[in-house]
Amino acid sequence: MSKKILIVDDETHIRMLIEQTLEELEDEGVTFLTAENGEVALDIIQKEQPQLVFLDVMMPKLNGMEVCRRVKKELGMEEVYIILLTAKGQEADKQRGLDMGADVYMTKPFDPEAMLSKAREVLDLPE
Amino acid sequence: MATSPLKPLLKNKSEGAALLQQWTLVNQSAVCITNSDGEVLFGDEALITNNGIAIDLHHQTVGFVHAGEHGLFLSNLLSALLQKETDRKKLGTEVLHLYQELNVIYNFSEKLAATIDSSLIAAYTLEQAMHAIPCESGVLIRWNETTKTLEIPANIGISLFNHHRLQSNLSLLYQLGYSGHSAIVENVEDLKQNGILKEDVKAIMYAALKGKHRIFGAVILATRTQEFYTAGHLKLLVTLALQSSAALESALLFEKNMQEAKERELSMLHIHNATRKFVPEEFLRSLGKDSITEVQLGDQVEKIVTVLFTDIRDFTTLSESMTPAENFEFVSAFNKQLGPIIRHHKGFINQYLGDSIMALFPRHPFDALRAAVIMQQAISKMNEQRGVKGLLPIVAGIGMHTGPLIMGITGDEKRLDAATISDTVNTAARIESLTKNYKAPILLSESTYDHLPEDDQFFFRYLGRVSLKGKNNKIGIWQCLNESMGIHLTSWVQVRTDFEEGIKAIEKGEPQKASVPFQKVLSSMPDDRTSAHLLDLCLEQIHQQPRQSVANEENASFPSPSGSGN
Repeated sequence: MSKKILIVDDETHIRMLIEQTLEELEDEGVTFLTAENGEVALDIIQKEQPQLVFLDVMMPKLNGMEVCRRVKKELGMEEVYIILLTAKGQEADKQRGLDMGADVYMTKPFDPEAMLSKAREVLDLPE
Repeated sequence: MATSPLKPLLKNKSEGAALLQQWTLVNQSAVCITNSDGEVLFGDEALITNNGIAIDLHHQTVGFVHAGEHGLFLSNLLSALLQKETDRKKLGTEVLHLYQELNVIYNFSEKLAATIDSSLIAAYTLEQAMHAIPCESGVLIRWNETTKTLEIPANIGISLFNHHRLQSNLSLLYQLGYSGHSAIVENVEDLKQNGILKEDVKAIMYAALKGKHRIFGAVILATRTQEFYTAGHLKLLVTLALQSSAALESALLFEKNMQEAKERELSMLHIHNATRKFVPEEFLRSLGKDSITEVQLGDQVEKIVTVLFTDIRDFTTLSESMTPAENFEFVSAFNKQLGPIIRHHKGFINQYLGDSIMALFPRHPFDALRAAVIMQQAISKMNEQRGVKGLLPIVAGIGMHTGPLIMGITGDEKRLDAATISDTVNTAARIESLTKNYKAPILLSESTYDHLPEDDQFFFRYLGRVSLKGKNNKIGIWQCLNESMGIHLTSWVQVRTDFEEGIKAIEKGEPQKASVPFQKVLSSMPDDRTSAHLLDLCLEQIHQQPRQSVANEENASFPSPSGSGN
């Protein structure tokens, strides 16, 4: 089964930036999927079952917290590794995100190096 | 490029592969695409001929199309797709790079906001610069305006700078670090020749640290792996330096203010130390204040204390033989001897009143008693020296009384004074003046005496109740026999009953009856001047009409207390 990463953010440039950050993983057989809102994301997660999801918190329709809760609690897809992304200064959300079942919490602007090494770690790809 | 750019474009399930698939179906035509080195990326290997059409990217052949007559069209299409994809990636890389810079600046601001320490800020600046810009060595130099020297508050990485040369070559560094410019150094060789840079340095750049109105230093980065620095590198360094400048400027200002505040505090401490020589610290502490500056008009506190007065007997006679300067010197020397004894016994001097001292003992009356005895011993010692010089001995009386006392700040808004207001002070002063009549070196009121613990070092005798000037009630007084001239304790024990009988008779108003035991006492202790005085009083009364008791007569003959200040 090929490795898949889902990138969920309503801002196009953030999606592109994350993709660009993780670009080198493509050579190692990783496929990138993107979604611009929570509803689409939930759909893709069920269909494609990605191993790793970068999930923005603040999104229209279905926000990241809710997506996270449904995936982890309702759908019982515990194995999907979810990294919540939120703007700096809203760290208060952190605990709530973790309560919703998120595995890790990252702030934006994110550190590209940290993001890449985290993705490698989750997908079990050597540095 | 390590991998062929064509490969990802045509890989399985990719957009490019899907398009080609569609094309072959629509045109009913086969196609084979290979890498520049012949590896098949799409289609049937059998189609490969020697006349494959080259696919170019940036004038470089990256692969071949084998599709007969459609070859040229497909090669152009793939070239265009490849170009677009490469541009997208390049743009993506650039944006990511900018994002990384943004992240660096963001983190830097966060770190700067968390500190006000200038040396920490200097270290963070270099740390962040090293993280964001390729370099192996960095220094932050600062011009110290006060000392007129160049300081290196931070350096990082391997040593590509000769630090001692940095210090010694000020003119060059002035150019580099104090010019206010930010630049990539064109000619690194100059700096190497001057010994500032190590031999293997390849590139160096610097950005000025600027405050609102002045330049105060620079951040300098050096590398031996990077061939040269780009405008992008410099731009990032300038951004970091700009942030660092603002933070450094406020940190330095803060440090300066702190320094000044410390100095002010120190000078306040000097003043405080000076003032407490005038106003006793214990006085302030009793008022719950740490410093004289906190004192306000009306501050006051009430306490039970023992008030002690000393006075030099016949000081007027003594001082007549001296010039005013000698007089002053004599009193100073006298006070200098007694002051430390009072403080040593946890007392404090409330006031020096010429030749007399008023001291307070807030802790225990016993402190006052012990101080009094040691003071008398000190006076005896002084007298030994005076005797050698042929000077008259000093005779001083010490009186004390224990009672409530209000210490407070009186005066008006412009002139404050520390004052003790209490009847206890008056009583103590009057008891001190009794020492003159009774020829007793140390007298205690009964309230002081009653508070004393059992102690076999000290001996007392009761002198009866006397009415003091301005007082309605009589007050019992006691003489401390230690240091009392002419009294030998062995003799005293033998005549004690007689003495006490005499006092009782006086208190009953029977001078005739009292005179007998006093005569007995004096025959045993002829130098007991107190008993001699008491006998005199009895005889005086017997000769006059006995209309008043001795004690009241005593009162009538008292002079008003001198120098009590109340």
